[in-house]
Amino acid sequence: MTLYADSEYPVRAEIDRAHAAQLDHLADPGTWGGAAQRLAVAREVREACYEAGVQEKHDGAGPESDVELPGAAREMIRHLAVSPRDFDQQSYESARSGGLSDEEYVEIVGIVSRLTCMDVFARGIGVPLRPLPAARDGRASGGRPGVARKELAWVPTVPNLPEGGEEAKAIFGEGYRPYILRSLSLVPDEFRQSVELEEAQYLPMKNIMVKDYQHHEGFSRSQVELIAGRVSAINECFY
Amino acid sequence: MIDPSQDSGVPGGKEILAFADAAIGPDRPALDRARADLAGALGPKAVSAASAVAATFTKNDRLANGTGIPSELPMLKNSKDIRAELGINDFRTAVYSRTHYPDEM
Repeated sequence: MTLYADSEYPVRAEIDRAHAAQLDHLADPGTWGGAAQRLAVAREVREACYEAGVQEKHDGAGPESDVELPGAAREMIRHLAVSPRDFDQQSYESARSGGLSDEEYVEIVGIVSRLTCMDVFARGIGVPLRPLPAARDGRASGGRPGVARKELAWVPTVPNLPEGGEEAKAIFGEGYRPYILRSLSLVPDEFRQSVELEEAQYLPMKNIMVKDYQHHEGFSRSQVELIAGRVSAINECFY
Repeated sequence: MIDPSQDSGVPGGKEILAFADAAIGPDRPALDRARADLAGALGPKAVSAASAVAATFTKNDRLANGTGIPSELPMLKNSKDIRAELGINDFRTAVYSRTHYPDEM
């Protein structure tokens, strides 16, 4: 049984596998948030998207939550989920002054970004949102890369090699990683999961500079970049 | 990409752009039409491919705008003219690159 067995449109097996695993992993404790908190973040994303009319609510979206997120967290989750174009440094600073640590903030950005990604995919192929799982027991693992520091982003990041040393090598591998990949590196698990979606849905990073590399059967690189550019233009993403 | 009324020159470009707009917009009937049009123009696999790419950049835009990352310097150096021509420097989020690399804007 695959996650998207009800899709009228064929879904690549690696996308199906990645989404199934990542949705299920939301039921586990994360690095800074417990499982119930992470699922509460996911539910807040979906509620905000339902209210904004960019997702459709349906029965079977998963169990309800009794976790109340802090106001600062709810506000930044809702803002980033539905209106990334005007999310700004003040939004970040409000979240921080509202009590979120940088580590918690980065983990939440990762969950918001990955869930909106998987939900946009589901809506794109015309299937209902996949159900969220029930929380599993356990404690957040904690742990921050010692080498993470303030570079040019708002949040601390793990520097590229050679500055990042062995920790950077363990997280990124040998190659140079642009900021878009390193943005979540303060929470390496979020970094890894984001890259997994990137490579399944867009293209393997090792091929990014190969102009005519084709990742999707019947969909050329120029067609890929057209839709990528349009989505980023709508979201006013300068990066 | 900035003005979807322009011909992109890409096969199925009109259908791809309509699908991109609808995939992240609130008009569900428009999305259903755009999906059918895209499948008609490029085949059913194009619908899951386009959904996957739109979804990826939905993620990446939130990562970039949510963490305040600047663009990479080589990318800025190579895109100066086209950014000016397309008005991309006017995006709110350009400020995070302008702050660090004012000479490249």
